[in-house]
Amino acid sequence: MSNFRRSQNEAHPNKTNTILTGIILLQILFISMQIWFLFGALNNALEENFGFALTTFIGSLLMAIASIWLLRYIPEPLQKRPTKKPEVSPSRDP
Amino acid sequence: MAHEDPGKEPSWKADFPIESKRATHVSRREFAKFLGLLSGAFAVSNGFIVLRAMAFPPEKLEGEQFVANVEDVPVGEMFQFEVGEEKIIPYILIHLEEDQWRAFAQKCTHLTCAVRYSKEEKKIECPCHNGWFSADTGAVLQGPPPRPLPQLEVVVRDGKVYVKEGES
Ligand code: FES
Repeated sequence: MSNFRRSQNEAHPNKTNTILTGIILLQILFISMQIWFLFGALNNALEENFGFALTTFIGSLLMAIASIWLLRYIPEPLQKRPTKKPEVSPSRDP
Repeated sequence: MAHEDPGKEPSWKADFPIESKRATHVSRREFAKFLGLLSGAFAVSNGFIVLRAMAFPPEKLEGEQFVANVEDVPVGEMFQFEVGEEKIIPYILIHLEEDQWRAFAQKCTHLTCAVRYSKEEKKIECPCHNGWFSADTGAVLQGPPPRPLPQLEVVVRDGKVYVKEGES
């Protein structure tokens, strides 16, 4: 039985691939900015630069929320995972 | 293994029926989830910096602290001293010219090497990575240090040198 989703997926098999790549790229972008922020905050918080630490923390938190929220949009795998378990015959040599 | 017949499945395989390829395989889906976790970890560590800054505000020097007698530090010389009770921070006192005194933190802002006043250059030098600071303002002139040296205000009274926290 076919439904809309499935026929869409069959018509555009690259779509999941693109979405997943896009999500990973966005996350890498966020994380790079977070590394940059953290570096700056470490450098500045050594001095009396409290505002900088707070600002980078808020920014970093927002980006973390964004990159976790992005996980919602990870597409489901098109084919089900191979349900076929590796064949094992326990009775062969107990 | 030699005594076993090669066509037969070893019993450990029967006990753990997971292919090693499946056990070590990281899908992009898992990778994305891991990136999300990593992102969260970065936010948390950034939060720690904020907490630390709130919990331990930088100590301010209270009042004036006696450093040295004027005659002990000739022009062009530097003198080491320390400030702070809990956290001791080394400072240097520099006698730039007649009646020209400066006090800077001795820890280089790059990687906390000890800086020293170079009499010939009339600048503060960090020997570790060839960083140079202005002996007048503490500003970075050259090299890797990212920030100017912290400075204290110098007061000379009755032939004695004191330092105190500057206005800025
Ligand atoms: S520690 Fe002073 S220049 Fe690197």
